[in-house]
Amino acid sequence: MTNLAGSRPQLEEKPTKFVPGQPDMWMFVLFESLLFTGYFSVYLVSRTQNEELYLRSQAALDLRIGVFNTIALLLSSWAIARCVKASREGAYRPALINASLTILFGVVFLVSKVLEWVKEIHMGNTFTSNEFFQHYFFLTSIHCIHVLIGFIVLGVVVYQLWSPVRRSQQLVETCATYWHTVDFLWVLIFALLYVVR
Amino acid sequence: MSTTFNRRLLIVWLILTSMTLAYVWMDHTVDQNGTLRASTVVTVSAIVIALIKVRIIFREFMEVRHAPAWLCRLTDAWVVLIAACLLGSYFVGSAVS
Repeated sequence: MTNLAGSRPQLEEKPTKFVPGQPDMWMFVLFESLLFTGYFSVYLVSRTQNEELYLRSQAALDLRIGVFNTIALLLSSWAIARCVKASREGAYRPALINASLTILFGVVFLVSKVLEWVKEIHMGNTFTSNEFFQHYFFLTSIHCIHVLIGFIVLGVVVYQLWSPVRRSQQLVETCATYWHTVDFLWVLIFALLYVVR
Repeated sequence: MSTTFNRRLLIVWLILTSMTLAYVWMDHTVDQNGTLRASTVVTVSAIVIALIKVRIIFREFMEVRHAPAWLCRLTDAWVVLIAACLLGSYFVGSAVS
């Protein structure tokens, strides 16, 4: 396993330009965002064909819950960004605390999302109710699967930072890149499901 | 140096959160007594704001601003591509409906 000090130069010695994490993860990020964009396009076209139904269904969603979810994920993204910087500077304890905060805010997001699903199902809005709720449940659940994978990824960060023999800055950055992707995909999903009119 | 970086990340988070809260105000201006109203201005603004947020996340949180030019250009091109797909789908869909 690569050692932080051995594998990559410290911040001061680092060249001005560097690719954060492994380039493979960036290819994955761009591929994932393209896949989601394809689905978003289908959603927007469907929406314009039956605007009244979408607006009526959207009224059953609580914008404040969507805002809360977004802020929770933005907090988690902020925490993992601080984790990357702390670990780069060799401050492993703050890095671990920030990685744990990222997991905490991720859990807050997930619990809030599950509670929202329960609320919608109790209101009679299920996957088979109408076209809008098909998109709503599909997009939010596929995103939640990414969040669950993100927990494994964040577990890798904690595992890496825990012991000096395992610390690899590149791996920490790679995992952070994945988690930020989960965040920005939600930013788009939130705008499309809750905000557009 | 570390404090400067952390302050920058805090400002970035505050900007992203403010943009998220702007959605609430935006929707309230168009909705009437709990009834949702169709609005091209709100739809286009929501998509544009979301894409600006995505670019900020790329540049600041994902550290693309420190990355080589090819990654900066690639992520910017990606944001433009997503914008073209989303706005294009909305306007083409509206035109044929």
